[in-house]
Amino acid sequence: MIRTALAGNPNVGKSVIFNALTGAKQKIGNWPGVTVEKKEGICNYKGTEIQVTDLPGIYSLTASSIDEKIARDYILDEKPDVVVDIVDASNIERNLYLTMQLMEMEANLVIALNKMDLAESKGYRIDVRKLSNEIGLPVVPMVAIRNEGVEELKQTVVHAANSPKKPAIRYSDEVEEAIGEMEKKVTKERILPEYPSRFVAIKLLEGDKTILEKAGKRTEV
Amino acid sequence: MDFAAQIAMARYERIGEILGRCMERVEKPESFSDMIDKVVLDRYLGIPVFLTLMWAVFQFAFSVSAPFSDAVDVFFSACSDWAKNTITDPQLASLIGDGIFGGLGFVLVFLPPIAFVFMALAVLEDTGYLSRAAFVMDRAMTKVGLQGKSFIPMLLGFGCNVPAIMATRTIENEIDRKITIMVNPLMSCSARLPVYILFAGVFFEKYAGAVITSMYLLGILLAALMATLFRKLVFGGKPSPLLLEMPPYTVPTLRGVFTSAWVRTRVFLKKAATVLFIGAIAIWFLSTHPWQATEGGSVVENSYAAVIGHAVEPLIRPLGLDWTAGIALFAGFMAKEIVVGTLGIVYGVGEENVASAIVSHFTPASALAMMVITLIYLPCLATIGILRQELGGWKWTGFVVAYELVLAYMVAGIVFLGCKLVGVA
Repeated sequence: MIRTALAGNPNVGKSVIFNALTGAKQKIGNWPGVTVEKKEGICNYKGTEIQVTDLPGIYSLTASSIDEKIARDYILDEKPDVVVDIVDASNIERNLYLTMQLMEMEANLVIALNKMDLAESKGYRIDVRKLSNEIGLPVVPMVAIRNEGVEELKQTVVHAANSPKKPAIRYSDEVEEAIGEMEKKVTKERILPEYPSRFVAIKLLEGDKTILEKAGKRTEV
Repeated sequence: MDFAAQIAMARYERIGEILGRCMERVEKPESFSDMIDKVVLDRYLGIPVFLTLMWAVFQFAFSVSAPFSDAVDVFFSACSDWAKNTITDPQLASLIGDGIFGGLGFVLVFLPPIAFVFMALAVLEDTGYLSRAAFVMDRAMTKVGLQGKSFIPMLLGFGCNVPAIMATRTIENEIDRKITIMVNPLMSCSARLPVYILFAGVFFEKYAGAVITSMYLLGILLAALMATLFRKLVFGGKPSPLLLEMPPYTVPTLRGVFTSAWVRTRVFLKKAATVLFIGAIAIWFLSTHPWQATEGGSVVENSYAAVIGHAVEPLIRPLGLDWTAGIALFAGFMAKEIVVGTLGIVYGVGEENVASAIVSHFTPASALAMMVITLIYLPCLATIGILRQELGGWKWTGFVVAYELVLAYMVAGIVFLGCKLVGVA
């Protein structure tokens, strides 16, 4: 069985996709310890079972809100086989911000590019294949409310589970230099070895409270 | 720049690079919404268009509702007469005729205009115009320490402050929200309108419309002033910038408009059936008892109401107001709709004769003072309840009550003395 999680900004059509994938086979509960709804479901693609967990809608992964913390902890600690990042094509720039952070976490990502029909009304056209090449991840164009792209998404998820991709995302030289130095330190001192070292380095540099606490440091590194 | 900001920028830079290589600009088809927005969101035309629409809303509501209000009035007068003629026990006849039917009639004549205002607003809301209005008003609102999103709650305040204060929940920033809530009771709700209509109609005849409009403007001006003061002296900081998504224009559905108008009107009806009903009976009791001393409710001077009114009188005497105004304002704390009804009950006359009774107790100057006090003083009970709920406690609620009392007294004093100075009696 493949374990997948659905991540994405609020209002990207996440529940529509979740429902389209799982149909009536859903289980609704709460995330442990908090009153945030947790939805899980099962779907099938050519005999392979896919378990789908719906993460709360979030804009970033700073763990500053309960929703962000739930999503981040789930991806870091439960390590789902595939994380489906649902991106609103009509708001692509803002949505890709979360994508960048998911890539930093080195999650095995599949991009579901939803609301493709609305992008043109915003005045642009997206070349899906070029986008896929640029970020090095599979991209599935979708119009979920019309059920377009759902089967392709399942197929892509199964494929991604079998051949995981974790392309590095590289930023400007100045930023990379700082990350590189910190990453060396993280590796050497074995800080939070259960997480990707580059991710830990970025979070420490950002001054992320949760990660700082987990790393057992009280002061700024 | 700290690293968190630096990497956030780096992420967006990277996104820009990626999108630059796989996104192609296409001619954006100009939609119907875009064409309308060119006019209504125009730098110069925006505000005039908005003001015209608002004027149309009120104009529509009041002219269309007039015959309905007349019908309500005729109906309750008939009920009242019927009760007084058929019930033999004089005390019971007075309770049912004057107290219940009289009191209900005074309140329910305002049901039609309120319902129509809400319907007209629902149309504007459902077409998608109201979110544009927030955008158009943002600049003006920012000047007084509020922001565009404060605008819709302020607008709703003209209907009733209770749903208006609840509508502030859409404002994300805590301080912006608090200030909006605290000045909201200054927006003249529909319950205060009858007081203006009555006094302006009796004392200012031809200029009644202008006087009523100036009450609304005074409310807006004071709200702007207090918001500025609260921002500068109490909270500090700047209003947060407005980010709004403009939904495309749509044709509102009849069902949608009626549902939303009904939900809001129901609040008023509920109040009429509970607080106002009980209030009317209480006022009736206070103004007709002790039954022997008042000679069956005809000599109000000897009633309990007079005792309360006389207790309040020294405080409002400098504003030219007597004990009858005192009891009316005291009752108005329950709900401001009651002010007019109370005067009617206290003077022992029906709605049609209340005008002549008023002339003997007020002058044009004190009538203005009365209107100003009604505009500003104490939020009604229901509003205090919602203030406490939304401001999260008694501390800020108490602050609102206190500042409104002081402000009402000051402004009414200035208006009254100003009138004396320019020779208006």
